[in-house]
Amino acid sequence: MGRLTAVALLLVGLAALAWAQGFLANELRPPVPIPPDNPQTDQKIRLGQQLYFDPRLSADNTISCATCHAPKTAWANHNPTDTGIRGQVGKRNSGTIVDAAYMRYQFWDGRAASLEEQALGPIHNPIEMGETLEGVVRKLNAIPGYRAQFQQSFGSDVTTDGIAKAIAAFERTIISGPSPFDRYLLGDQRALTPSAQHGMHIFNGKGHCTACHSGPMFSDQSFHNLGVGMNRPDPDVGRFAVTKDPQDWGRFKTPTLRNVALTGPYLHDGSERTLRDAVEFYHRGGIPNRNLDPLMLPLNLTDREKRNLVAFLEALTGTVPVMEAPPLPPGPEGSTP
Amino acid sequence: MTRRRFLACLLAVTALSAAWPRLGGAIPVFARKYGFHCTMCHSHYPRLNDFGWRYRLNGYQLPGREHEEKTVLETSAPFAVRASVGYNVDNFKRTPEAEEVNQFQVRGVDLLSGGLFGRNLGYFLVYPPRIEPARGVVGQPGTVEMANVIFSRLGGSRWLNLRAGRFEPAYVAFSVKRQLSFSPYEIYDFAFPGGLAFSDTQSGVELAGYRFSGPQYALGWTNGTGSNRPDDSAADFYLRVARVFGRGEGQTVGQRLGLISYLGRARPEPPLPVTDRKRFHRLGVDASLNAGSSNLALQWLWGKDDAALWGTRSDVNFSGGFAQLLYLPSTEFVGFVRYDLVNTPGEISQDITRLTAGGRYYLADNLALHLEYSHRRQDSPAPGLGTPTEDFFTTSLDFAF
Repeated sequence: MGRLTAVALLLVGLAALAWAQGFLANELRPPVPIPPDNPQTDQKIRLGQQLYFDPRLSADNTISCATCHAPKTAWANHNPTDTGIRGQVGKRNSGTIVDAAYMRYQFWDGRAASLEEQALGPIHNPIEMGETLEGVVRKLNAIPGYRAQFQQSFGSDVTTDGIAKAIAAFERTIISGPSPFDRYLLGDQRALTPSAQHGMHIFNGKGHCTACHSGPMFSDQSFHNLGVGMNRPDPDVGRFAVTKDPQDWGRFKTPTLRNVALTGPYLHDGSERTLRDAVEFYHRGGIPNRNLDPLMLPLNLTDREKRNLVAFLEALTGTVPVMEAPPLPPGPEGSTP
Repeated sequence: MTRRRFLACLLAVTALSAAWPRLGGAIPVFARKYGFHCTMCHSHYPRLNDFGWRYRLNGYQLPGREHEEKTVLETSAPFAVRASVGYNVDNFKRTPEAEEVNQFQVRGVDLLSGGLFGRNLGYFLVYPPRIEPARGVVGQPGTVEMANVIFSRLGGSRWLNLRAGRFEPAYVAFSVKRQLSFSPYEIYDFAFPGGLAFSDTQSGVELAGYRFSGPQYALGWTNGTGSNRPDDSAADFYLRVARVFGRGEGQTVGQRLGLISYLGRARPEPPLPVTDRKRFHRLGVDASLNAGSSNLALQWLWGKDDAALWGTRSDVNFSGGFAQLLYLPSTEFVGFVRYDLVNTPGEISQDITRLTAGGRYYLADNLALHLEYSHRRQDSPAPGLGTPTEDFFTTSLDFAF
């Protein structure tokens, strides 16, 4: 065997190993689910990326999706709740869009069953972007760069359906890489510190976390009443506002815990500033109310157990995509935002 | 020499436990079904925490997740085994008929199964297999300890849950089957000859209802145990009411207070003259109080038995109970100390006191290194014999998988 052949074989072997490593690393989560009526294409993803970063989707051209779900803050932000157009303050925390493609429901109250449905929600929410869907279609159709891209991606001018599909396609690319926890499960015993390993034990035992934060996304993809905000007048009723089912009163979606260390503050109203604060909230058993989830109980955690639980939650941090805002198509008068 | 050997054994096992890396846990029956660690439901195996208490109340279903539960046919084989192995020393004084122990022993082998047949339809089975006593092996008779079906939320109400079969009745405020010490609760074992001991499981039906962190009741109709004939009809009834104050269920959080009343009939056991069934009853109060990492369990029972059941001239009134303090600083360790007391009338003169202390260090959720010492005194009805005593030591490994 010639030296060249040997080197080639070595390279092929290394490539195979790298592929296998990548395959194994993603094995814990299934492939990103893609709806049949919105297949991923590079063109569509690029278009969705521009729309995601474009403040012209808002009524006063000041707020884009990235304003509240910023790449530099793990595609969320660190405010308890966010400020939309004209300084209006919302009442819920902006969740990260990282790995949102894996979630069965979108928004804290699950009112959107898909990323496509979710993508349009903030645009016509009067507190967030405050635009009408007709208005945003009209504005984008007036931008030649967008019209051309919509033609290429969807064979039509700008439509609300196309906007939703393009943004959703882009969001499906914002997926985190393996975390130390994933590597640990795949056999790397050193990927978790002893503290995090003990925290994992608490997470799946005395802490009762896995009763809801289960599965590859650390979410049962369901809704629970933890009592968040129930000690305040006029509390947020969460899922009940969507379903009108009394059992859903005060229930909110179980969010993923992947990358949770990067996405504080926590809970649907951002009322817990740090992971330790959030653990303390659960340690107290939430806030009693008439529909408190029966699994919410005071936990009797020791200080060491709390510290280790936080260490485990921090070990759920994978690599999160980082990117700058792309160049946006100029408006009809040639200006860009 | 005996004491020295025991201490050497204790030291060796303690050293082993100190050097032993704590295992991740893994898990019988229910834990295996959900992929949870034992500590999800047990403060310290086998003792339930508040979460586990609710799970049991809810007919072995996660509260609020009943629609997501899998049946026994949809999960891995729902079987588990429990046993303890260790070095036991049991010394008796002034009890000639008692058998001294000073050796390694296997004891308490149980086969368990539990799960759901369908939504709101659970079952639980405990079978200690028949084991012939031998050197190093504690024998057991091989009867079915528990085999029951639970119909939960009849009519959609938490106030109507029916358990039928053989089960540990709700009047046992502090489960004998899930107690941390090996030494028995004396008052639960105290009975007229051949008669009902609270530590026995019973066959019958039990209707129960509850509100989480609130009131609970259980109403039972059972065969009774002991000296009844096979053709005797079921004639024992009981009622338990309890109330939890604060969050939790009184296991590690919240305070639980309970009352029980038991009314039964039994036949005197030979050599006493066999007669018609005679009445006996029990009345009890109990409390499970929590503060920080400590739990104080208090139980007091009053009993009144027909004279024929004891062969005495007048009815026998006795009382007794225990106070047990648990210290639960972490999932790895639990310490316990308990004082048992049984007061009996002069005519039978069998007063009992027992002091028990010990601890369990969990090498894994389902593997405990168990150390225990217990000293028991019981008045002898025969004059001139002095007070019989028992000293029990154990260094054991208690495990389930």
